[in-house]
Amino acid sequence: MSASDTQTTPQARRRMRLSTSRLAVLFVVIFAAGVTLALTAVYFLTARVLDKEVDTVITSEVNNLVDIYARGGLLQLTATLHRRADGWGRSGAVYLLAEPNGYPIAGNLARWPLNLSAYNNEFNDWVEFEIDASEAGGVISHPVRAQILRLPGNRWLLVGTDILERRRLASRLRIAMFWGVGSSVLLATLFGMSYSRRIRRRVRAVATTCESIMAGDLSQRLPVAAAHDEFDALGAAVNRMLETIEQQTEMLRTTFDSAAHDLRGPLYRARVRIEESLQHEGLDDNARQTMEATLEELERVQRTLGMLLQIARTDGRGSEVPTEEVDVAALARELVELYQPEAGTCDITLEFIGADSSVTRGNRQLLAQALVNLIENAIKYVPRGGRIEVKVQRAADQLTLVVADNGPGIPAEERHRILQPFARLERDRERLGSGLGLSLVAAVMRLHQASIELQDNEPGLRVRCVLPVPQDL
Amino acid sequence: MNASGAVRLLLIEDDLEAAQYLVKGLREAGYAIEHSPDGRDGLERASAGGYNLIIADRQLPHLDGLSIISRLREDKDATPVLILSALGTVDDRVRGLKAGGDDYLTKPFALAELLARIEALCRRSAPAPETTRLKIADLELDLLSRRVTRAGRPIDLTTKEFQLLEFMMRRAGQVVTRTMLLEGVWNLHFDPQTNITDVHMSRLRNAIDKGFSHPLIHTVRGAGYVLRE
Repeated sequence: MSASDTQTTPQARRRMRLSTSRLAVLFVVIFAAGVTLALTAVYFLTARVLDKEVDTVITSEVNNLVDIYARGGLLQLTATLHRRADGWGRSGAVYLLAEPNGYPIAGNLARWPLNLSAYNNEFNDWVEFEIDASEAGGVISHPVRAQILRLPGNRWLLVGTDILERRRLASRLRIAMFWGVGSSVLLATLFGMSYSRRIRRRVRAVATTCESIMAGDLSQRLPVAAAHDEFDALGAAVNRMLETIEQQTEMLRTTFDSAAHDLRGPLYRARVRIEESLQHEGLDDNARQTMEATLEELERVQRTLGMLLQIARTDGRGSEVPTEEVDVAALARELVELYQPEAGTCDITLEFIGADSSVTRGNRQLLAQALVNLIENAIKYVPRGGRIEVKVQRAADQLTLVVADNGPGIPAEERHRILQPFARLERDRERLGSGLGLSLVAAVMRLHQASIELQDNEPGLRVRCVLPVPQDL
Repeated sequence: MNASGAVRLLLIEDDLEAAQYLVKGLREAGYAIEHSPDGRDGLERASAGGYNLIIADRQLPHLDGLSIISRLREDKDATPVLILSALGTVDDRVRGLKAGGDDYLTKPFALAELLARIEALCRRSAPAPETTRLKIADLELDLLSRRVTRAGRPIDLTTKEFQLLEFMMRRAGQVVTRTMLLEGVWNLHFDPQTNITDVHMSRLRNAIDKGFSHPLIHTVRGAGYVLRE
């Protein structure tokens, strides 16, 4: 049994943060990849459409000019070129008809822009080059895409288009794409972070509430925001469940309280009657012994009842039990001193090992009772000549309390069961005892949000309790 | 105490059979006792005054024991109150004492335990003068130097034994029960399985009575111990 299994430890909290952050990062990465992919596709498709449009225009122009050349010869072509190339700045069209050696005949380019030897093929070839054009703002380099064709008679024809605007458009498109991707990623990151924080906060609120419910405050409820989302649905369902549990627990507690109360009444009267009879003079010894033995039995029933009531109360009302600063080391040392003479009469060494002072927050009386139960248990089971050690050790955020003996111990398979009320080992059936001592210890530890573990002391039993220490102590 | 010199007690208890027995037992012990069967009636009688001690059950019809205490204390009535209760868990006791009760006894209890506590409470209501030395017969305890002597001979005691002896000497002549010792000397408000105080008492006895002709610590059968000449 370990209360720490179910608690939100700092490690678990860190894990939780990691898992939500990881989810957020994953979301951002997927989102950014999606946006980038979409925008890149748009960019390339647009660029292709634009390029294709340019090529189509050039190709039809070339075909047209080839037609004119075929029909009207060089003269007709030259005239057409003159007419069409009256200003490439206006239409953006570039023409050049040149001699086989590259000397220009007609067109709006002053000279052949490329090394002709590379273009000795019969068929048209696509080229891109730059030309300088003087404009109002000075000389600007314009990119040109053109088709080069070898006309019959080995003359060269170049038909092209200024693609500066298209380049600019493409670059603007690229910039827009970067901005788009960038701002989407930024937005997604912000959203992811706030979303993960929101989830974390709500999960933490649920965890905190659950912790105080486990600590015994059944009146706590999960926070239900008005968002009507899945968290609220979950919270409302859990709250309904808590409502039912609280009602049942309350019913059980009142039943238990009144049962205990009603049992104490007759017990008390029985005791009173026996005590009264014992005061009669002339009572024969036999009757006196029987009555005294009965009184002892009654006391045992009373103790069992008290112990049960204490367990039920300790488990049920965590937050109602008052707490204070308790020096567990001092308490343990004092209890060891209290029991040392008793252990001595059984030839058992009882020792305290620990610092002078180890403070945590808790209920002194309940912790004392738990310790007394552990020490009495050990004295009961350890054979003569045995040894019992009570150790208290404090670390930064926890306090370890160990009661170890070299007695018969508890078999591993029985260790969990033995913490439950009325659980006893088969070998101890003959002994007196209620079977409640250890379960009361477990209840006290649960109340203190401490873990309790029964271990093998090789040989013997080692009960190890780890109590949390609040940060301010 | 009234004119006749007897200590006057008021018992507020709704369990009539138990009340009858307590009334009989307390009368035999020499107390003048009145019984009230419910909380409202009990508070009326208590407010009228004249009692040295009130013994109130915690769960009563009409008005419970803790409410009776708080009403009395509101009226600046400091009469000591001993609470009897079937609620015997540790925090019930602590709560009962915090509510202004002067002592808390869980049912069922032995009559001897109740008698011892009544005696202690009645003595306490007459405050003892501040003192640094306690003395009974030839036994002396110095609270400042923390030294104990008997017939002038120094006696070595452990810290706990010293506290135990001081507790007994402050209640010299009164019966002190085991439960009272656990509460008063060890601050433990529950009953362990073993009579753990017996060993400590016998050690103390060894220390102060051994070798002297007449012992000071006496066992009271079925009740506890008493320190007297």
